[in-house]
Amino acid sequence: MAPLLELHGVTKRFGGLVANKDVSLALEAGEIVGLIGPNGAGKTTLFNCLTGYMHPDEGRIVFGGVDITRARPERVSRLGMARTWQLVRTFGRMTALENVVCGALAHTNRIGVARARALRLLDFTGLASREDVPAATLTLADKKRLEIARALATEPRLLLLDEAMSGLTPTETAAAVDLVRRIHAELGLTLCVVEHVMEVVMPLSGRVVVLDYGEKIAEGTPAEVVRNEQVIKAYLGAHYRGRD
Amino acid sequence: MTLLLQAVVNGLEMGFLYALVAVGLTIIWGLMEMINFAHGEFLMLGMFGAWGLSAGFGLDPLLSIVPVGLVLYGLGVLIYRHLMRHVQRGDPFTQIFATVGLLFLLQNGAVAVFTSDYRYLSNTLLTRLSGANLHVLGITVGVPLLIGALLALVIFLALYLLIDRTEFGLALQATAEDREAAMLVGIRPQKMFAVAWGLGAALVAVAGAILANFFAVFPQVGFPFTVLAYAIVALGGFGSILGTLLAALLVGVVQSVTTIYLPPAFKDAFVFASYILIGLLRPQGLFGRF
Amino acid sequence: MIGVLLGLAYPIPLQVAGYTYFQTVGFLVLLNAMLGVGWNVIGGWAGQFDFGPQVSFAIGAYVAAILFVHLGCNPWLGMLAGVVVAMLVCALVTYPLTRLRGHYFAISTVAVWMIAQPIGATWEFINGSRGLFIPMQTGQGALGALASLQFAGRTKALGYYYVAFALLAVTLVLARLVERGKLGFYFRAIRDDQEGAEGIGIDSRLYKVCARSITAGVFAAGGVLYGFWALAVFPDQVLDLNWSTLPTMATVVGGIGRLWGPVLGAAILIPISQIMSTTLGTGPLAGRGIDLIVYGLVIVVIAALRPTGILSLPWGRWTRRLARRG
Repeated sequence: MAPLLELHGVTKRFGGLVANKDVSLALEAGEIVGLIGPNGAGKTTLFNCLTGYMHPDEGRIVFGGVDITRARPERVSRLGMARTWQLVRTFGRMTALENVVCGALAHTNRIGVARARALRLLDFTGLASREDVPAATLTLADKKRLEIARALATEPRLLLLDEAMSGLTPTETAAAVDLVRRIHAELGLTLCVVEHVMEVVMPLSGRVVVLDYGEKIAEGTPAEVVRNEQVIKAYLGAHYRGRD
Repeated sequence: MTLLLQAVVNGLEMGFLYALVAVGLTIIWGLMEMINFAHGEFLMLGMFGAWGLSAGFGLDPLLSIVPVGLVLYGLGVLIYRHLMRHVQRGDPFTQIFATVGLLFLLQNGAVAVFTSDYRYLSNTLLTRLSGANLHVLGITVGVPLLIGALLALVIFLALYLLIDRTEFGLALQATAEDREAAMLVGIRPQKMFAVAWGLGAALVAVAGAILANFFAVFPQVGFPFTVLAYAIVALGGFGSILGTLLAALLVGVVQSVTTIYLPPAFKDAFVFASYILIGLLRPQGLFGRF
Repeated sequence: MIGVLLGLAYPIPLQVAGYTYFQTVGFLVLLNAMLGVGWNVIGGWAGQFDFGPQVSFAIGAYVAAILFVHLGCNPWLGMLAGVVVAMLVCALVTYPLTRLRGHYFAISTVAVWMIAQPIGATWEFINGSRGLFIPMQTGQGALGALASLQFAGRTKALGYYYVAFALLAVTLVLARLVERGKLGFYFRAIRDDQEGAEGIGIDSRLYKVCARSITAGVFAAGGVLYGFWALAVFPDQVLDLNWSTLPTMATVVGGIGRLWGPVLGAAILIPISQIMSTTLGTGPLAGRGIDLIVYGLVIVVIAALRPTGILSLPWGRWTRRLARRG
């Protein structure tokens, strides 16, 4: 079966800085893929290219068989790719429910239908009690859950999570990981997770891709990647002497 | 052909004056991203100031730019401290609103005090020179406008040196780049903003004092200049002082040349059409830092 | 509810007593309230500051006037035509402008207006600055007058008042439908976070055009009403910036983004202006724009203290507190 998402030689430059260099990878439907790398490795830029907020200077991106290299964000969303943001974004002046309704309206014109779907998703993400709260006043953890609920409302096939765990306490992180697992298991979505918290991304992912200075330097199961010399060098420096 | 050249020269002269009108907006925008719809009202006040001092005390506008500039500087600072500071934290809407309210206040305050009658300067250096011309390369250059333009250029250059070469100017630029970093090195942003408003008001009022030699003085004269100033600042790239100068010269020339081919009512329309075109093709303006 | 009944009943005792002036004031309040509700769509819900809807106002007035003068077309049909034309023109003009954001967009709406002015003043087809006069039809009964949107004689102000009332009601109903429907949600999403909205499949450019076109339609209808009330259409009158600043002010003062905001705002601001004119009468301060100074003060105060408008004050809490004390 053809991969759900394919990247072929994606390169993105900002003036003299090469944020993504010749990145190629493929995601199969139903996977959870972790995308890791030191700060500045180009992970968020890659997400921006995938979701249409930026366009690569070279290379192609194919999603579900459709070339989305130059597509605008609305089109990418309608094709079934949803994302969350590194700095959480909600529609601050609307209530939690209204936020998710906006997402649900991607597939229906009827408010009643959208509302019912939104309520189910609020329940699924544990926000049922926050239904009428203006989004701007939610806690950070709740805002992140709202973002996810809203993204899920668009009925995506692929969900991109950009550092969803950053800024959360250990308890909140555990709840978030649980939510991600449920999204994968119960909703059958494919997931690509950018994360810095190793204890989260390693157990969660079936496969891990490592970026450094814009290039893909490793790919494989978590166990393989952790032992990869280049990865160790990237995170810990060339002079690191491992314990084994 | 000489007609075209004539228009270009004329346009350039007006352009220098427009530059002085618009640069105050550039500073305010570049520093704190605020829109001021009452900008033209400061110009109007500058004009009335010049007229008043001329009619009442015989002070030539070219000299009264000093007191006018100082008074309007104070007014700008006051307005910042008591109004704009509060709306700065709000969303752009509220800012636009507050300045629209200010526009109403100032414009109609002037109507209340001076009535809507048109007033003209007479017996000043430039009005007395009216009709004196220089003949250069077959083009007739009016002396009064030339003097006005040169004065505007001098002031503009002085401003540029202030911003670019003095410590104060550097502080202003620093605050524009990164407010918090500026605070960390001891610059007080609030003070910078107040000064920016003061400077902005003073500069456009001085431009008004000069322009009073050529235009009628009445309370409603300000708004068209506000709109023109915006187009210039946007064309030149919000926040770029040199860009403002170049854009102003361009606007002056376009305006002037347009009047050769189209009825005078369309003189500004063409400028705005260009604004829209540039806005679509190059949103950061011709020279802007976006 | 009370307001509605008040609004309906308001002109009658005045008619009986012969004070038609106040009915005209009411007419202006209703007209501006209607325009304010229209502006709220692009300004309050979609969150894009727009200085240009007076162009649609003018288009509406001219289309209906021309259709009537040259083809004898009924003004209500003319209104329909005017609305359609204005919405089309607005959509065409706005689409490219949606590439601009925030302040740039606001200025481009002013730019469009500045381009429209000389066109209006010099276009021969619409008689340029000489204006278009609408011939008066006299001797019609009440129904005839309604059908031709021309009221004359003693019931003139009364007639226009009720038509404005009806149009405002229709506009409010339509606005309510938009607010609660998909459009309303999408507009507010764009206002709150345009890029986030795009990420959930909202074509921000398309919906901004939609919002602005709805505003255009409302303004066009208002323009037709004004044209037939004034029985003449002059370019500098119908393109007057006040046709957008007054409704905008009313909306901001009353409560931006709230359905009844513009109505409240218009009901406050316009009577202030009229009271000023009448009390100052022909005295030394007359015609000195004192009412506009007051407007300026009101706006500045609201902007500094309560930018979200009067309706956003915690009336519910206050009335509950009063009820508990009493």
